[in-house]
Amino acid sequence: MYYPEPIGRLIETFQKLPGVGPKTAQRLALFVLKLPREEVEAMARSMVEAREKTRYCSVCGNFSEGEVCAVCRDTRRDTSVICVVQDPRDVLAMERMREFRGVYHVLGGAISPIDGVGPDQLRIRQLLERVRAGKVSELIMATNPNVEGEATALYLARLIKALGVRVTRIAHGIPVGGDLEYADEVTLSRALEGRREL
Amino acid sequence: MTDVRSHGIVLHARDLREADKLVTVLTRTGGKVTVVARGVRKQASRFKALVIPLTLGYFLLHSGKNLDTLIQGEIIKPYLGLRSDLTRLAYAQYFCELCDAALPEREPVPEIFDLLVTGLEKLEQDDSSARVARCFELNLLESLGYRPFLDGCLNCGGGGPFRFDREQGGLLCPLCTAGPQAIPVSGAAVAVMKRFLDGGFHRLNVCMVPQGLNKEIERLNFSLLARVTGRSRFKSLDILRGLEEEIK
Repeated sequence: MYYPEPIGRLIETFQKLPGVGPKTAQRLALFVLKLPREEVEAMARSMVEAREKTRYCSVCGNFSEGEVCAVCRDTRRDTSVICVVQDPRDVLAMERMREFRGVYHVLGGAISPIDGVGPDQLRIRQLLERVRAGKVSELIMATNPNVEGEATALYLARLIKALGVRVTRIAHGIPVGGDLEYADEVTLSRALEGRREL
Repeated sequence: MTDVRSHGIVLHARDLREADKLVTVLTRTGGKVTVVARGVRKQASRFKALVIPLTLGYFLLHSGKNLDTLIQGEIIKPYLGLRSDLTRLAYAQYFCELCDAALPEREPVPEIFDLLVTGLEKLEQDDSSARVARCFELNLLESLGYRPFLDGCLNCGGGGPFRFDREQGGLLCPLCTAGPQAIPVSGAAVAVMKRFLDGGFHRLNVCMVPQGLNKEIERLNFSLLARVTGRSRFKSLDILRGLEEEIK
C-alpha cells in the first residue's frame, strides 16, 4: 500500500512493538497524525526519557530512576524480608497487591540448562552478598511456577539455607475465581499439597 | 494434512507473541513436531501445565502448512521428581536437547520416544544421574544407527589396548591406523559401554561406574554424538559441567 514516506516509517516503527502487526501499526500511525503537535512531542519525549533515565537499581536489580530504586530507598520497608523474583515486571505485579512491605531482589531470569542459562548468568552472587551483609530473616521465592522457576528456587534455597536464613516459597494452586473442573492435574496436586487448616 | 494424535514429551517451549508458546514435542507416532499452543500463557488456559518441558502427555495436534497447532491434550506424567533437583533437571534437559538435535522434524522413531520416557523415569529414580546419562547416550546412538563397534578392533579383530576412532565408529588396535582424533580407551570403559548397550536400563543400579570411568565414557559418547548431530556443544551439558564443578 502507498504511504508518504514519513507515515511509512512511522508504521514500520510501530511494528517493532510487541504484539503489534501491520494493521494495528497503521491504525496507531494514523491516530498519531490526528493528535495535536504538543501531544506528539510529549509522547516522543517521554519515550526517549524513559529509555535514557531508566536503569537498574544497584541493590535489587529493579527498574530505577537513580542509583537505588524507590522501594530500596523507602525507609518504612522491612529490609529483613526479601522477595526474590525473576524479572522487574514481577516487582510491578507484586506491588499491585499493596500488601507486601518487604524489599525485592530481581534475578534477571531463571536457570534453564537447555537455553544455556546457568547460575552464573543471574544476579545470585549479589543476592548472597545481600544476605551475608544484612539482617535478613526471610527470603520469599517468588519465581514462576514452571520448570525453570522451580529449579531456580530450589537451587537458591540450598545456598541460602546454609547461611541460616529462613527460605519460603509462594503458594501454588487454584486461582481466585477459577474453576476446579478446569484445573490441570499438576495444579490440583500442588493445591492439595499446600492445603491449610480452616 | 492429517492431524496427529499421539503420546508425546515436551522437549522445549518458548514464548511466542503475547500469549502463545512455540512448543517442540517428541511424539511417538508423529515424530518431532513444532507446535503453536495458542493462549497458553493466559491465566485461564487449560493447557498451561501440559506445555511445560519434560511433561509426558497425550496430544491432539492439527497439522498446518508450516507449524502444527495444539488442539487438545492431557497430562500423563509431569516428572515432578526431576523438577525438584537442579542436577537431575539439567540431565533431563540434556536428554531433550540430544533428541531435539538428533532427530529431524516429522520422522517418527517410536524407539527413541520410548528410550526418552525410560531415560526420564530412570533419572527420577536412580541415585547416579551420570550413569543413567551414559546409558541413555549409548542407547540413543544405537537407535540412530550409530552403535559403536566394541567387539575388538573393527579392522582386524585384534585385541587391545584400544583407541576409539569416532570417524570409523569403533575400536582400533595398536597395529591398525587410527585417525588423528582417536582417543585411548580403557578395557573397563569398553566393558561398561557394552553392558549399557546390551542390557539397556535393566538392572542399571547394580552397575558401578566410578567418576573417572564415567568421564572417560562421557568423552567417547560426546565425540560420537557431536559427529552424529553436527554440534560441537550442548548448552545443557555446559551448565551441567558447571554445576558439577560447584558441587565438588
